[in-house]
Amino acid sequence: MTQPDETRAGGAATTEAATVFRLEDVTKRFGGVVAVEGVSFELRPGEVHALVGENGAGKSTLMKIVDGLYAPDEGTLWVGGEVVSFSSPRDAEAAGIAMIPQELDLFPELSVAENLFVGRKRPRTRWGGLDRDAMQEEARKRLDALGVSLDATSTVKRLSVANQQIVAIARALVGEARAVIMDEPTSSLTEREVRQLFGIIEDLTAGDVGVVYISHRLDEIFEISDRITVLRDGHHIKTAPASELDPEELVRLMVGRPLNELFTRSESSPGELALEVRGLTRGGEFEDVDLTLRRGEILGLAGLVGAGRTELAQSIFGIRPPDSGEILVDGEGARIRSPRAAMERGIFYVPEERRSQGLILPFSIKNNITLSILDRISRFGFVPRSERQTADRFAKELSIRGAKMSDPAGRLSGGNQQKVVVAKSLAREPNILLLDEPTRGIDVGAKSEIYRLMDDLAKEGKAILLISSELDEVLSMADRILVMREGRISGEFGREEATQENVMTAATGGRNPSNAEDPREEGSVDE
Amino acid sequence: MSEARAPAERGGAGGVSLRRLLRRPEAPALVFLVVLVAAFTLANDRFLQVGNLESILASVAVLGVIALAVNQVILCGEIDISTGSMLGLCAVAAGAVATSAGGLLLPLLAGVAMGALAGAVNGFLVTVGRIPSIIVTLGMLYALRGVILLVTGGTWITGIPNETRVLGIGKVFGLGYPVIVLLLLFVVMELVSRHSTWGRNVFAVGGNRRAARFAGLPIDRVRFLAFVLVGVFVGIASVIYMGRAGSVQTNTGAGLELQVVAAVVIGGTSISGGRGSPLAALTGAVLIGVILNGLVLLGVPGIWQDAVLGGLILLAITTDVLRRRLVGDKA
Repeated sequence: MTQPDETRAGGAATTEAATVFRLEDVTKRFGGVVAVEGVSFELRPGEVHALVGENGAGKSTLMKIVDGLYAPDEGTLWVGGEVVSFSSPRDAEAAGIAMIPQELDLFPELSVAENLFVGRKRPRTRWGGLDRDAMQEEARKRLDALGVSLDATSTVKRLSVANQQIVAIARALVGEARAVIMDEPTSSLTEREVRQLFGIIEDLTAGDVGVVYISHRLDEIFEISDRITVLRDGHHIKTAPASELDPEELVRLMVGRPLNELFTRSESSPGELALEVRGLTRGGEFEDVDLTLRRGEILGLAGLVGAGRTELAQSIFGIRPPDSGEILVDGEGARIRSPRAAMERGIFYVPEERRSQGLILPFSIKNNITLSILDRISRFGFVPRSERQTADRFAKELSIRGAKMSDPAGRLSGGNQQKVVVAKSLAREPNILLLDEPTRGIDVGAKSEIYRLMDDLAKEGKAILLISSELDEVLSMADRILVMREGRISGEFGREEATQENVMTAATGGRNPSNAEDPREEGSVDE
Repeated sequence: MSEARAPAERGGAGGVSLRRLLRRPEAPALVFLVVLVAAFTLANDRFLQVGNLESILASVAVLGVIALAVNQVILCGEIDISTGSMLGLCAVAAGAVATSAGGLLLPLLAGVAMGALAGAVNGFLVTVGRIPSIIVTLGMLYALRGVILLVTGGTWITGIPNETRVLGIGKVFGLGYPVIVLLLLFVVMELVSRHSTWGRNVFAVGGNRRAARFAGLPIDRVRFLAFVLVGVFVGIASVIYMGRAGSVQTNTGAGLELQVVAAVVIGGTSISGGRGSPLAALTGAVLIGVILNGLVLLGVPGIWQDAVLGGLILLAITTDVLRRRLVGDKA
């Protein structure tokens, strides 16, 4: 079974009937930047083909070529034995290829049925008006085919994220898709909802639909996919059956070097208690959270997206005041009702969305860095000239390269933008740093610099809370790991006892009896 | 700045600095102003005379002073369309004090205090009340006009003494007080906008309110102060207005609120906030004055004024949109 796989993956011996679509030596450049170069990729009917790689590896670019959003600069796209060139997603859809983007492009104010028919020929009544009954009937049929019970008349904004996802899938399938591309479909789903999605994927593949599955969750990839293709820096690294790979090998292929070279973490000796949270609760977001954080310690906060980690950190920072519970800074009770109050107690939060929450994009690097210290350095309400030296000092500490201090932040690379955000927080000289996904979407070089900086800061005695969805990051950097699930702390692990498995189990609720009926779950978790 | 400035200085020929100049938000309006002045000068040689230029500036002093303050509100990402009625109310307060007590200082204080009070109400409703500023100031536009009518009973205030009128009609070395006040406040606003903490925070709040909040900036205080500043500047403008007119009618300032917003936007300050400058507000106001004056000198009938002004606003917005597309400036 594995032998023919290998030859077919090579492409030469493939009979076109055996693929839904095939990309051959595709290259795409944006200006001078090469996004993908000489990449080949094929999808067979009825398979789940995982596409993995770090942020910026070229996964989304590649799939947008298949979806007709981008035209390749070089190379060809074959669909059903013919070379095609799509000029829009509409062409791709006509050829049976549907993409479900990461950011769902639904219309929140419209009903489920209306969303399914957006941009498509809608049933008409005899008088030329919309035939709503026919639309709802058709929508109901589509949803039934997916095995879900959703009211076709309900407004999309009232649905859970998981159900919105299902609407997006149903919409993609309205056009008799033979290939479905899913870009990070589970990033905001709970474990139970992931199960439902996987059920739908299995039904699709049973009907000979091919599925491209883009994800960074290794456990899901190994569970659902038949084959895996790894991209790195726009190049094709490897395509192999999932059974021939293991998670460590996959990570090595993605990162291009062993993980321990990426991270820097010295021996730590946590000192006095810097931050303590007791029974913190905010309705609908998190409940009864206790945590302690010491000077010189990096505390990892793991969990799935939507587990309430960001909300908890923002609550400590005064953005979302808690309903009940206590926050103690240096052993003293602190009433923190605004970011300013938090800063005065030496707390600083580095947000996960750097463009919308961390930066004033039209501002220069300098003005962004000094944003939070203007009130400190200004004299009689005016900004002194020494502002420049202050900004320079922190820019140097973060080694922001290839940019002038007067460049607007909006034009910087993701890595440099993140460095500016971190520099801004350091300028305030906080004792307690809350870092929310500090390395998301930045290149490997910038990542390792941020890790080294975190290590240095901990050595200086700063207390660091590291929120991260990348397990390797938490496992490698944190002295201690707290796991959150559905708004509650669901596990705590010391550096030695923490493993990928037990953290993931705590994050997804694998031990929760409600999920125990699922045999896959049980097999991987218990003993 | 040393890094950034060095190439511009060494580059010679001004190539780099010219491009930097053209990137500034008020550049299109300034270029347009120069072109217009040249055109009007060619068409009528009386246009460029010192006396005419001074009278243009004097005629837009009230508009310009208010635009300098509303500019800050718009930079914050808010708007204030209550200034027309506010000017009337301030003028009524200043006029009442002028006719009873006389002098310049007391009427000026009365106008400024009245303006600051009205601005504080605007600011309070926007920040603490969390009501969109367009709604708050639209309501205030009508409410304040109503107060004027109730207080004055519909009658004019006349007989403003000359010592009060000096701010509108007085001259020093051939330069009218209105022009001096306008230029002085412009310089003050440039300094405040470039170098003060509040000035910087205004850009931050308008550029990305969320990030400004996350950075611990006092967003509500920044916006509140901007609304109060409008009131203070309207108060000053009301005394200039009263001096020039010599009386206070109940419809004083009617329609001015939108001309102010037009001046700010024509000048190049982004209506969505975060981008612009006091120079933009001044340029916009002067541009409006030049056009109105030029039309008169060219003998264009007065009924054309509004059409030309409207066309100008659309033209200004269009050139800005085009410029952004060309430069690829998404920020």
